[in-house]
Amino acid sequence: MYKFFLYTILVIIYLGLAKTLSPSEIGVQYLQNERGFSKIVPGEEATLILVDTHATGFLIKTYYQKYRLISTMDTVEEIIVRTSREFAKRNMKFIGLSIYRRNHEKEEFLPQAPGSLYVGNREYGEWRENKKGVLKWRFAKAFKNYPNYLGWGKFRPTQEFADGYKNSATTNKPYFGLKHEFGPEGRITRENFPHFFKDERMKKVDMKTLLIDYFKENF
Amino acid sequence: MAEIFDRLVIRILLAGFVCLMIYAYRYAHVIFYPSVKRQVLKRINPAENPADSVHLFSRLIGIALIFSSISFNESSGFFLSLFHFAVWGTIAIILYLLSLFIVESIVFYNFDYTDEILKRKNMSYAFISFCHAIVIAYLTRTVMTQSDNSLIILLVLWLYMLVIVGFSIKYYTFISKLTFSRLLIQKNLSLCFSYGGFTFGAGIIIASCFDQEHYDITVYCVQVLLKTILSLLIFPLFKKGLVYIFPVKLGDERGFEGQVDQDMQNLGYGFYEGSVFIAGAILTTMIVNRIQFGTIYPFF
Repeated sequence: MYKFFLYTILVIIYLGLAKTLSPSEIGVQYLQNERGFSKIVPGEEATLILVDTHATGFLIKTYYQKYRLISTMDTVEEIIVRTSREFAKRNMKFIGLSIYRRNHEKEEFLPQAPGSLYVGNREYGEWRENKKGVLKWRFAKAFKNYPNYLGWGKFRPTQEFADGYKNSATTNKPYFGLKHEFGPEGRITRENFPHFFKDERMKKVDMKTLLIDYFKENF
Repeated sequence: MAEIFDRLVIRILLAGFVCLMIYAYRYAHVIFYPSVKRQVLKRINPAENPADSVHLFSRLIGIALIFSSISFNESSGFFLSLFHFAVWGTIAIILYLLSLFIVESIVFYNFDYTDEILKRKNMSYAFISFCHAIVIAYLTRTVMTQSDNSLIILLVLWLYMLVIVGFSIKYYTFISKLTFSRLLIQKNLSLCFSYGGFTFGAGIIIASCFDQEHYDITVYCVQVLLKTILSLLIFPLFKKGLVYIFPVKLGDERGFEGQVDQDMQNLGYGFYEGSVFIAGAILTTMIVNRIQFGTIYPFF
């Protein structure tokens, strides 16, 4: 009994020390739910796009998510956070979408196709008519890189697309675009986040294939 | 041809210099064991006192082990490399003898070298001392390699290593059924094998904890501490497992009273315990150091 008690104490000491001192535990912030974004996102105006998600561990999984943080003054950075299981699972279907937006005091947590903070905002650009006579959003020169940051590629939103943001906010439903261009099933997201949609990451491997590959590689 | 011959001459000269350093060590040994002055400084007769021979020559193996970690850098010049070896060799001798003195003061706190080795010719004491000499040398060697020619880091790591060794020695009473002091007085060889196995096992574990890449001394010390605690958690699992897989029978149902105690004092039982300790320690280092969990970054 005494030895068992001593062993338990050692386990607790190890876990405590590892948690406090291990370099792998330092620097990665933990996110219980979307409310935690307020603490980790700096600046007055910011958009957070979910870029990648990953789980490590065998029995007890640890969930990581990578976000692209676009803040004012044309700055972009990628941040990795550790999240709760529920939050990670819930966000799996929102890859390529803007998960969090901050506009001064106002915060939005509804997943939407990226760009809702900027499209229609005259500080960032203007509506311009193309050759076909359709009005499309065009970022100002100072924000010329924003379409790449937002994962749009060559896509430029129309006014109809921009109206979708408002409708989504009214109905409180995630917005994937007029034709579901964004999100895990969306064409634009798949084109602009190719790393997440790599074949080897998407395919599900059965035990037989795994063993055959193992023997091919090692013998 | 001339260059090859020159290199051969350098090697011969350096070998001579190493012998000179070991000669210096012989005198340094007397500082900690003044009672053997007569034996050490004159011609040694190994047959006269085998226990003393084991005690003395184990240290010779130890110092050879440590010297093997110091390298000569001939590109910086012959005399400079000799000077480098002399400086680090002297530091090694001092640290090694100090470590041995401290560890033996802890383990043999109620035993005296003069009584046990010179008067009683206690082979059990000598063998345990032999194990200390080899293990401490191996650990000092590891620490010297990790310090990478930095005296400050060497001192920090050496002190750190001594603290861990000091604690690990006390751990023996927790995991062995043998009574150390009583059996040592009885010159029991079962104790030598059991304690020897334990010491070598602890040495392997501690050395493996120190043997890792380091860029920052604080992070390195933290990693060593974590690995040591982890080893402390894993080792009992292997010990229990090995004892469960290879159960031993002590005494007989119809045997006389005290037969269990007598069986434990048998050489076979000591060897059994020692083997379990060493095997458990080697397996522990595998679990602590050889599992690659990878990082999240290749995926991200």
